Amino acid sequence: MTVAAGIGYALVALGPSLSLFVSVISKKPFLILTVLSSTLLWLVSLIVLSGLWRPFLPLKANVWWPYALLVLSSVCLQEGLRFLFWKIYKRLEDVLDSFADRMSRPRLFPTDKLQIALAGGLGHGVAHAVFFCLSLLTPAFGPATFYVDRCSQVPFFLISAIIALAFVTIHTFSMVIAFEGYAKGNKVDQVIVPVIHLAAGMLTLVNFASEGCVIGVPLLYLVASLTLLHCGKMVWQSLIESRNQS
Amino acid sequence: MESSSILDSLGVEIIGVMAPVSICMFLVVLLTYSLSVTSDLQIRSAANLVYMENPSDSTTVKLEGSLANAIVFVVLVAAVTFVIVLLFYYKFTNFLKHYMRFSAFFVLGTMGGAIFLSIIQHFSIPVDSITCFILLFNFTILGTLSMFAGGIPIVLRQCYMVAMGIVVAAWFTKFPEWTTWFMLVALALYDLVAVLVPGGPLKLLVELASSRDEELPAMVYEARPTVSSHQGRNRGSSLRALVGGGGAVSDSGSVELQAVGNHDATRNVDYNAIAVRDVDNVVERSPPVVEIPREGHFASAVSSSELSTAVGSRGEIVVADEEMSPLVELMGWEDNREDESFEKGIKLGLGDFIFYSVLVGRAAMYDLMTVYACYLAIISGLGCTLILLSVYNRALPALPISIMLGIVFYFLTRLLMEPFVVGMATNLMMF
Repeated sequence: MTVAAGIGYALVALGPSLSLFVSVISKKPFLILTVLSSTLLWLVSLIVLSGLWRPFLPLKANVWWPYALLVLSSVCLQEGLRFLFWKIYKRLEDVLDSFADRMSRPRLFPTDKLQIALAGGLGHGVAHAVFFCLSLLTPAFGPATFYVDRCSQVPFFLISAIIALAFVTIHTFSMVIAFEGYAKGNKVDQVIVPVIHLAAGMLTLVNFASEGCVIGVPLLYLVASLTLLHCGKMVWQSLIESRNQS
Repeated sequence: MESSSILDSLGVEIIGVMAPVSICMFLVVLLTYSLSVTSDLQIRSAANLVYMENPSDSTTVKLEGSLANAIVFVVLVAAVTFVIVLLFYYKFTNFLKHYMRFSAFFVLGTMGGAIFLSIIQHFSIPVDSITCFILLFNFTILGTLSMFAGGIPIVLRQCYMVAMGIVVAAWFTKFPEWTTWFMLVALALYDLVAVLVPGGPLKLLVELASSRDEELPAMVYEARPTVSSHQGRNRGSSLRALVGGGGAVSDSGSVELQAVGNHDATRNVDYNAIAVRDVDNVVERSPPVVEIPREGHFASAVSSSELSTAVGSRGEIVVADEEMSPLVELMGWEDNREDESFEKGIKLGLGDFIFYSVLVGRAAMYDLMTVYACYLAIISGLGCTLILLSVYNRALPALPISIMLGIVFYFLTRLLMEPFVVGMATNLMMF
């Protein structure tokens, strides 16, 4: 039964990304490589962050502002990294296009670009879920469970899986939004991504209050679904545009 | 829109190598996780001939002892590789092949058997000893036959390579911690020297094989496309896959001639852009020579420490044409001669599988977080090696980059990241 619970938690966090991976990514080796490299990039960012914050750890459990600073610095670094990722992708895209020309194959389709963005975002999201949720899940396979004081209604593993799911969604689709924004030079989309990320990070601070997770988690899901909605609308529009052009 | 986008075919070769490595690592982690309770006993083998690590020893003693262990291990490995080079030089090829078969039999039968036994015990699977024995015997014999024989599907051989990697790596994870780390570092360095320095045993072996146009008798994972290969274009190669590697020698003469003509064309493409590298990295690769000290699974058996299973490489036997065929295949120049598409993928030595998995398995004994970090580091190291391979077009050692990255990431994760992430996550802070 406990093994079932552990697998269940893991699937709550990673189930949607797993199905995305199987249905879209795994058919194209290049996308798998994109996922892997973006996961690695996220891991490196996490290691850099933890290196920066290591001297100040452990933070005091009853003061909330160091955590706010921590989230702020993390979001800043990761958004910088996203821009870097975009730059790398841009160069890669040029290389791929010239390669396709030489092979007298069609250049990258708009859907290909969207898929690469999706793969990059999925890498970030999966890395988040893996390091913040999955790697703490080992005890969940054992015979007991664990509750944190501040959120005493739900087992810790379940609540962290639920939060991780929200973050996977946000990371995955905000990467698509960001790439489209950068590609089209749309300022709103470029700005909205860091704002979403920061808002989501700050909303987890609500969990700091006693029983705050009752409010914080639904708010987080609101942000996640807004991201999803925005991304869907944008992708739909760009698909319509590209169909009209061709 | 009938022509597919280039994304569909790009990177097939890389994934063809990464997938089995990932499977191998995953299963080793699963094994170490589920069996970790039962494997307390210290094993005695070539890797800890000099010094038996004891948790209560002081740090300096451990350090010196495991350093000595690592050096002895690498010296043994080097010695055995030289012996293999000598044997190969004097054309004892059949002897070597039989020796490889024997060691495959031995590895699968005894070490694999022991692992199956502990699985059966741990999960209390109801199976009687006769059935178990028959199953094990069949499994082992099939694996032995698949080594160098023709007529066996390439998929089967690939599966058995991965299985052997898993078995040996699961065994190696029982080494004490410090010895494992030192051994990995030492092997990575040795691999670097053996493949790159002139006169290094692996380099000699590969050159010998390529000058003689022979297959190297060694345990190598061939990532050549299986029968259901993409684009369905290559009837010839799937046939070849069925015929097995043995049949390759006969046509290689003609293929080689033809390939020389094409070599320049390949070159030109190569100068053009980086992307080509993604595609043509199918050139050979040489694995590290990793002899598996399979003798070591009983405390008494130390003396027979001829390491078996040299994992040499079936080196760059025909670099030119190998370089060409992937280009043909991936870029879809379908007008090229179908029948002669000499299809060989990247080759990765069994030793790479084993030591990647040993690293990950060792990481699994600490925490899942280190496992993920090490996995990512190793895979990206492998990716770097593959890219380098397509740049340099020669046999390259696969261990150094991956192992170094893996070790660095392990300790970074363990020392820096874990307190950070645990502190954040237990407060339900995420970003």
